[in-house]
Amino acid sequence: MGVAFVLDGRSVTVEPPTPLTSLAQVLRETLLLTGTKLACGEGFCGSCTVHLDGEPVLACLTPIALVDGRAVATVEGLEPDGHWSALQQAMAERDAVQCGMCFPGMLMTLTAFLRDEAEAGRAVTADSVRAALTGNVCRCTGYQAIVEATLDAAFDAAASIPGPEART
Amino acid sequence: MTASPIGDSVRRRDAPDKLRGRTRFAIDRGEPGMLHVALRRAEVAAARLLRVDTAPALALEGVHAVVTEADAPGLYGVGVADHPLFARGVIRHHGEAIAAVAAETAEQARAAAAAIVVELEPLPAHLTMAEALAPGAREIHPDWRSYEELVAGGARAGNVAWEATAERGDVDAAFARSDVVIVEGTYATGRQNQASLEPRVALARYEDGRFTVETSTQYPWAVKAAIARQLGVSPAAVRITVPPVGGGFGQKFESSIEPVAAVLARQTGRPVRLALSREEEMRTALCRENAEIRIRSAVTADGEIAAREATVLLDCGAYGGEQTFLTSLVTHTLMGSYRLGAVRLRSRAVYTNTAPTGAFRACCGTYCTFALERHTDDICAAIGADRHAFRAGAVIGNGDVGPTGQVFEGDVLAPMLARMNELRERRPGPPADGRLYGTGVAVGTWFIFAGPSAATVRLNPDGGATLITAGVEIGSGSLVQALPQIVAERLGIAPGDVTVAAADTDAAGFDMGVGGGRTTVSLGAASRGAADEVRRKLLEHAADLLEAAPEDLLLADGEVRVAGAPASRRTIDEVVAHAHAVSGPLAGDGSFTGPGLRAAPGCAAGHMIEALDLPVFAVHECDVAVDPDTGHVEVLDYRVVQDVGRAINPRAIAEQIQGGVVQGLGYALHEEITFDEHGQVRQGGWESYRLPLASDALPVRIALHEGAPSVGPHGAKGAGEVPILNVAAAVGCAITDAIDRPMTRLPMTPVRVLATILGHEQPPALPHISTGGGR
Repeated sequence: MGVAFVLDGRSVTVEPPTPLTSLAQVLRETLLLTGTKLACGEGFCGSCTVHLDGEPVLACLTPIALVDGRAVATVEGLEPDGHWSALQQAMAERDAVQCGMCFPGMLMTLTAFLRDEAEAGRAVTADSVRAALTGNVCRCTGYQAIVEATLDAAFDAAASIPGPEART
Repeated sequence: MTASPIGDSVRRRDAPDKLRGRTRFAIDRGEPGMLHVALRRAEVAAARLLRVDTAPALALEGVHAVVTEADAPGLYGVGVADHPLFARGVIRHHGEAIAAVAAETAEQARAAAAAIVVELEPLPAHLTMAEALAPGAREIHPDWRSYEELVAGGARAGNVAWEATAERGDVDAAFARSDVVIVEGTYATGRQNQASLEPRVALARYEDGRFTVETSTQYPWAVKAAIARQLGVSPAAVRITVPPVGGGFGQKFESSIEPVAAVLARQTGRPVRLALSREEEMRTALCRENAEIRIRSAVTADGEIAAREATVLLDCGAYGGEQTFLTSLVTHTLMGSYRLGAVRLRSRAVYTNTAPTGAFRACCGTYCTFALERHTDDICAAIGADRHAFRAGAVIGNGDVGPTGQVFEGDVLAPMLARMNELRERRPGPPADGRLYGTGVAVGTWFIFAGPSAATVRLNPDGGATLITAGVEIGSGSLVQALPQIVAERLGIAPGDVTVAAADTDAAGFDMGVGGGRTTVSLGAASRGAADEVRRKLLEHAADLLEAAPEDLLLADGEVRVAGAPASRRTIDEVVAHAHAVSGPLAGDGSFTGPGLRAAPGCAAGHMIEALDLPVFAVHECDVAVDPDTGHVEVLDYRVVQDVGRAINPRAIAEQIQGGVVQGLGYALHEEITFDEHGQVRQGGWESYRLPLASDALPVRIALHEGAPSVGPHGAKGAGEVPILNVAAAVGCAITDAIDRPMTRLPMTPVRVLATILGHEQPPALPHISTGGGR
């Protein structure tokens, strides 16, 4: 059974062991894209978060068969034109990273969150960032620098286009 | 001239790859031809092991080897060598490894492990310390007398794996005084799982008669020693390398799975990878131990603590492990922080038929501080003292004597309490929604595990330097921030021009591991020493070139200048080139260790740490709102004043404090490992083990206290371990203040808080711990 999909902008076809093999396992063990982490394997930590047709999903709970014909984006594809996203930049400037295992999932969750909030014209607040992170566990940082970096990124994005004050 | 990099919040150099998913942790690594390992584990807590038949496993497709206790003859431990790699004749805990299989695929390995035939004869299990200490209780280690003592001095008997005692002054006379009130308390605290996102994982090879193990560890030299000991080979035949570590929090301070991968690599001649599943980590992690505490104090009306005595039981699980060491730290935390007239303490690591416990950030300090500070508030209530004023008057200061007779240097806690008074002024007020409001303040004493460290610095022809140590980057940033900052300052270059080599025990000298808050202190001091030697040689060569005396030279910004003669200068590259022509490349070695302070004569027995070489202090305070209908606790404001000696990288320290406090809130409020009636850990995953989420966290308000005495480089103290020390204490005192009933157990879940409010939960009786703690 071949599964064909678009991965970070490139077409790939894989032959998974079973249709139920998780997308996370295929990414890590078949395609050797280890940026997507697999910390709990049960959908409680968010470290395996990727985008499926633009929406964040837990790769550990996504059977590979469901990916056929669709588009997957991973943390490795976050900077296709060679430039960091505003969110990556803000995380680095805030020195938010510690061990780093949760950040791929955090970035995928928050990238979609910032896009959705901007499209909906909603102001990004510390509370809304914390709510967005409900499915992402970080054991090192206590989350504060991650929340602040996300606010920075939202502020930077909002500052570049006319609009309401993003940071409240 | 640019500013010194000391005190500068230099950014992490490993962040770019960590933010791109490119960093390859041990869990992300492998190599062609590698085999996968599965462990066959015990499914009972206690049994005689009658027969292990591996033949059915070996007959399965893809299986290369199966190993059992016969393949790993040694016993290991910290204080006592009591721990075999695989169960030997007896099962002592649910989840104990019986055998390991190496196969072509992980699925094949798991199937083969399940095919191993294991015959058992069940034994009654002791799942609690009370059961293990009951009169006539079955000995979990009937052969305990024959075990090798790796450290002398611990009293051992039956199910007591290790006992440390401390005694100073006449405790009985103080308790008999007519002018004291006696305040007593009992406390029981839970197990906490480290829950690093990266599990324990190792990749082993056996080549040219040597083992090379790439592993996720905090302490490469300990893994090297443990593999040698358990496999019965020379430590020189073992090489440990360490990629970036995806979280450790103390669990990875001890060797655990690495010898399994090593023995299978030798057996198969193939690279062998062992990665624990999350469920295995939940059920067998070397957790922070559960503990039971009875403490009492004799206090005068004006707040003098005439005497204090306590008994503490630490549940070490099936094997002694780190708890044999941690009994010492009970003395320095539970009997620390305050001036005490007389002291008596008994601290026991107790064997139970549960998974072995281990080290977790500030270890026993967390629950000892909880018990001590709840007890301190009880004292304040008993003598009618204000909680803040009492502490300000009673904390140890310059010249005061610690529990084992050491004399403390410097007034540290008192000015930190004063600083907390300032932080308190900006707190939000109580909620006006009917919830109960309370405040808790907690002081705490912990230590820097100074110990030996080696470092080498090479100055390269490109003007940059290479720092070689056995230190590993576990996320705290010490290896990518403080250490290169320290070296750069000595050599007059930018921190970014200091390359930090990944840990490799074939290249780096001995180091006692990244833990115990020691990295910046011990590796920092060793690195500084190595850089000093390079600096001296560099300046000698520069003096030669510039025809000046070395003492007249200034080294900064990548060049050497003659003081007062700005035109006389050479770049470091030029000086290095000169050295290459004259005497060869420039390198230096540095080494450091703590002095190993001793207790006053007769004050401490069974202590691996008799006195604190380098104490570190913290003051925490928080305000909580408690819902009287549900027992739910919300932390409204959290404030920290931390003794850092000198802040090498203030922002990195603040991030450690923020993270440590939130980890501590999990410990205080909802994280707990418990056991079912079969001795299996109930929390098999993160659905049932409740980790702190972003919505549970709050921004911690932080003040760094600088200037306390320290033997660390530039006066630094370790800052990563202590942030979790006082959290359960501060929250416990705040909840008690809010509900006006005593919190005596951790974690303080809503159910437990509500039961306490309703009077359904009383302090633990602990009938197996006698009053009169010292006897």
